[in-house]
Amino acid sequence: MSTLEVKNLHVTIEGKKILKGVNLVMHTGEIHAIMGPNGTGKSTLSETIMGNPAYKVTQGEIFLDGKDILKMPVDERARAGLFLAMQYPAEIPGITNAEFIRGAINARRPQDDQLPIRQFLKDLDQAMEVLDMTEEMAERHLNEGFSGGEKKRNEILQLMMIKPKFAILDEIDSGLDIDALKVVSRGVNQMRGPEFGSLIITHYQRLLNYIVPDVVHVMMDGRIVKQGGPELAKKLEDEGYAGLRDELGLDIKLVDEDA
Amino acid sequence: MTIDLQKYPAIAAYAAQTNEPAWFSELRVKALQAAADLELPTFGKIRYQRWPVQIKRPLAYQASDPQLLSDVKLQSAKHIIIQLGQTTVRQQGLTELAAQGVIVCDWQTALKEHPELIKKYFMQKAIKYDQDLLTAQHVAGVTSGLLVYVPKNTVLNEPITSYFIQDATQKQDCVHHVILLADENSEVSYLENLTTIGDQPTTASIVVEVIAKAGSHVKFASVDRLGAKTTTYLNRRGHLDDDAKIDWSMGMMNDGNIVGDFDSDLIGSGSHAEVKVIAISTGRQVQGIDTRVTNYGKHTIGHILQHGVILSRSSLIFNGIGHIIKGAKGANAQQESRILMLSKKAKGDANPVLLIDDNDVQAGHAASIGRVNAEQLYYLMSRGLPQKIAERLVIRGFLGPVLEVIPSDSIREQLRDTIERKLVNGQRDE
Ligand SMILES: Nc1ncnc2c1ncn2[C@@H]1O[C@H](COP(=O)(O)OP(=O)(O)OP(=O)(O)O)[C@@H](O)[C@H]1O
Ligand SMILES: [Mg+2]
Repeated sequence: MSTLEVKNLHVTIEGKKILKGVNLVMHTGEIHAIMGPNGTGKSTLSETIMGNPAYKVTQGEIFLDGKDILKMPVDERARAGLFLAMQYPAEIPGITNAEFIRGAINARRPQDDQLPIRQFLKDLDQAMEVLDMTEEMAERHLNEGFSGGEKKRNEILQLMMIKPKFAILDEIDSGLDIDALKVVSRGVNQMRGPEFGSLIITHYQRLLNYIVPDVVHVMMDGRIVKQGGPELAKKLEDEGYAGLRDELGLDIKLVDEDA
Repeated sequence: MTIDLQKYPAIAAYAAQTNEPAWFSELRVKALQAAADLELPTFGKIRYQRWPVQIKRPLAYQASDPQLLSDVKLQSAKHIIIQLGQTTVRQQGLTELAAQGVIVCDWQTALKEHPELIKKYFMQKAIKYDQDLLTAQHVAGVTSGLLVYVPKNTVLNEPITSYFIQDATQKQDCVHHVILLADENSEVSYLENLTTIGDQPTTASIVVEVIAKAGSHVKFASVDRLGAKTTTYLNRRGHLDDDAKIDWSMGMMNDGNIVGDFDSDLIGSGSHAEVKVIAISTGRQVQGIDTRVTNYGKHTIGHILQHGVILSRSSLIFNGIGHIIKGAKGANAQQESRILMLSKKAKGDANPVLLIDDNDVQAGHAASIGRVNAEQLYYLMSRGLPQKIAERLVIRGFLGPVLEVIPSDSIREQLRDTIERKLVNGQRDE
């Protein structure tokens, strides 16, 4: 079992304080969900765990199996077992999707034990079938010209192929039609098991019907303000964030609230 | 005019050793005399004048030992000629070309067996021998080269491959000349490989004249990998008659300082030049590339597309010049020059110039210098790829638009490999 631990994390972007002391512990075998209003720092948390150099940690620590990862560059964290399905994946015209995924898999294997191409193609075929992706998507340039939904599927394809210890899925459901939502959930559920943990960021309780979480966290104004089981997500869906805020007696202004 | 060769002992000695026809030795003397009053040419923002780019060592015959090539990896090809310094080391598949009237021979052979072609075309049509100091020095000093002649209406399906390996194991300058003459309605694909063996500091003067007669189509590709201690003047010039076309695809993967002058003169109406350049500068080298297309004829098309990458403390200058002469009605001149910077200390310069002397024309240009897209790099690395590999992938994407339009699969592959090698080596000094 692996453990990912975020301790009192503070993050600033361009001088602005975004995360103000986030604490979170998760283990492989568990699925956690984070919900929270727009602009509260969910993507900031994901990017900081992954190691995006644009985000500055001013305080706090992140441990993967007891090892402080804050000093590790993003590629090293990836090879250590972290994965982030991004809210806005980049388009890279220099490499085909299949070539890229194979490169990513082999980057975490020793030189003398690279994944044989046949095995790779077999695995790729299987994963693409689960995700209802056409073969042609493998030969296209990485994300180039992919539709919003295709990009999301492609993030999950990479997840299934790379098999990280911990995957953060940032709004993997946004822009997906209902069928695609089921397909993508099928992919994630297939990963579920004692060797895999996931942190799912979403605005919609619907996704959590397909991927049922063990723990739900609510984030507001750069902090995790409440934790609970799947029922917490349902409650939020019904009552909204203002209700929870008032219940907790927090002094936070929500983006879509009139002054 | 008869010239007293005794006043030029180096030329006389060389002529005697190589059995050079007198008319050519006299041409050398003429060029040498002209050189006294000529100056170095200027190429926009390329400041190369202080480099050791002039041919100063006296003309000398020097043989090279073919054994030097035992460790050099050469691609195999159906029609191939390999020259090492002044020595021709291998020729293959040329006799079957000869059966079709196609001539492929080294310079010494050309002077002896095809004097009428050399007299008519060598530095006469595409470039004049007394154009400037560099061309004059070139004519005075030429010691190796190639003549390719494709007769009228002859279509060659297989490319002609030439390797020219500069021998820098010796302290000798390298002066190499190529004439590629495509007669009316012929088609030929030619691949030139320039490399260096040895690491003596040397000067190279390489001039290529492509003469495309009416209705001919020449696909010219080069993979240029001259050595780090070689300072090079490289001039490639196309001269196009009516409805002729030249596709230039050039990979500037040299390691030393180089000034490249790539010009196409669209003389005949309906003639067309596509110039594609990929350049990678590494270490502390400077590569200055001056690409010009001049539209003289009506309805001529000149397109320039050049993408380059700069690493470490290197420099790359792309001049792009589209010149439409008065009377070239319906002419089209387009150009795009882009440079990707991998290092803050590298210098890139992209200078588009459009000179338009007629109204009834189309012209456009684009130029940019940019840094590697941080988001792309982050995305690639977030899947576990180390930074240098991720950078090479971003570079591949950047060079893709030029690579993809190169009209030959095998050349594209070869260029791709060469690019990868140059980048891997270049990243070591980062
Ligand atoms: N690169 C940036 N430059 C400036 N501000 C930024 C940047 N990235 C994020 N922010 C700001 O940080 C705050 C948190 O953004 P973040 O993307 O983490 O929110 P989020 O919770 O993921 O929101 P959403 O639900 O809309 O995705 C926002 O106010 C946002 O404007
Ligand atoms: Mg977000």
